[in-house]
Amino acid sequence: MFVYEKKLQYPIKIANPNPKLAQIIITQFGGPDGELGASMRYLSQRFAMPWGELKGLLTDIGTEELSHIEMVCTIVYQLTRNLSIDEIKKQGFDKYFVDHTTGLYPIAASGDPWSAATFQSKGDVICDLTEDLAAEQKARVTYDNILRLSDDPDVSDAIKFLRAREVVHFQRFGEGLEFATEQLNSKNFYACNPSFDKNCGK
Amino acid sequence: MNRSELTQKLAAADFALWDLHLYLDTHPDDLAAIGQYNNYFKQSRRLREEYESTCGKLTAAKAQGVEWLKSPWPWEKGGCDG
Repeated sequence: MFVYEKKLQYPIKIANPNPKLAQIIITQFGGPDGELGASMRYLSQRFAMPWGELKGLLTDIGTEELSHIEMVCTIVYQLTRNLSIDEIKKQGFDKYFVDHTTGLYPIAASGDPWSAATFQSKGDVICDLTEDLAAEQKARVTYDNILRLSDDPDVSDAIKFLRAREVVHFQRFGEGLEFATEQLNSKNFYACNPSFDKNCGK
Repeated sequence: MNRSELTQKLAAADFALWDLHLYLDTHPDDLAAIGQYNNYFKQSRRLREEYESTCGKLTAAKAQGVEWLKSPWPWEKGGCDG
């Protein structure tokens, strides 16, 4: 089960609305390398992990990603507060507004709704952890690109925090992959799948 | 400590605690990190009490009934976060 804490992992206080920027940042809610996909990926993959160390790592990082969804949504929410219809039209927010008003809906910057097709849960330790390493890098690059596009210091401050977390998670997943290979046959890591084959790695 | 300082301090202590927790997932035998973890744990618990008495309870289990609904939500203005 999960227990909610009524606070953000990193406090966010955005002074000025900017619906144009919100439409870029929402991609980290519902885009291909966003936090929703990240969380669902790790919280789904963890069930096939054969060792407690990796079940723990995926549970913990998957849970942290839930708090990042909340942070990204908070940024979008605060950037779209108190908008006039004039501002909505001028800043190109009308296409989002017509379907969602200023509610939060998981889409990519392109407008495509979030899809589980953006991740895999393969039931194989090496495969899943390798995907996780790539996923953290893809999210890191997205945050780098957001920082190139953002001219609001309040927004960039929170985005820099989220970017740094991708780097830390990448590091932890690398250590997790190393741990996994240490449990397997050093002559052939792929000889069997410890998530499926009985007596694999024993 | 004002509300904004309190929020920052609790976020910082909880962040250090969480980051050490993730580190310990892959380095469970690092005694120095376990020591640091225990220090931040105490710091976080102290700040949490102060935060909850000023800003409202952090978890539904601690807030009785409607008390949970009265304090502002983390994305809103007027809360300890915003």
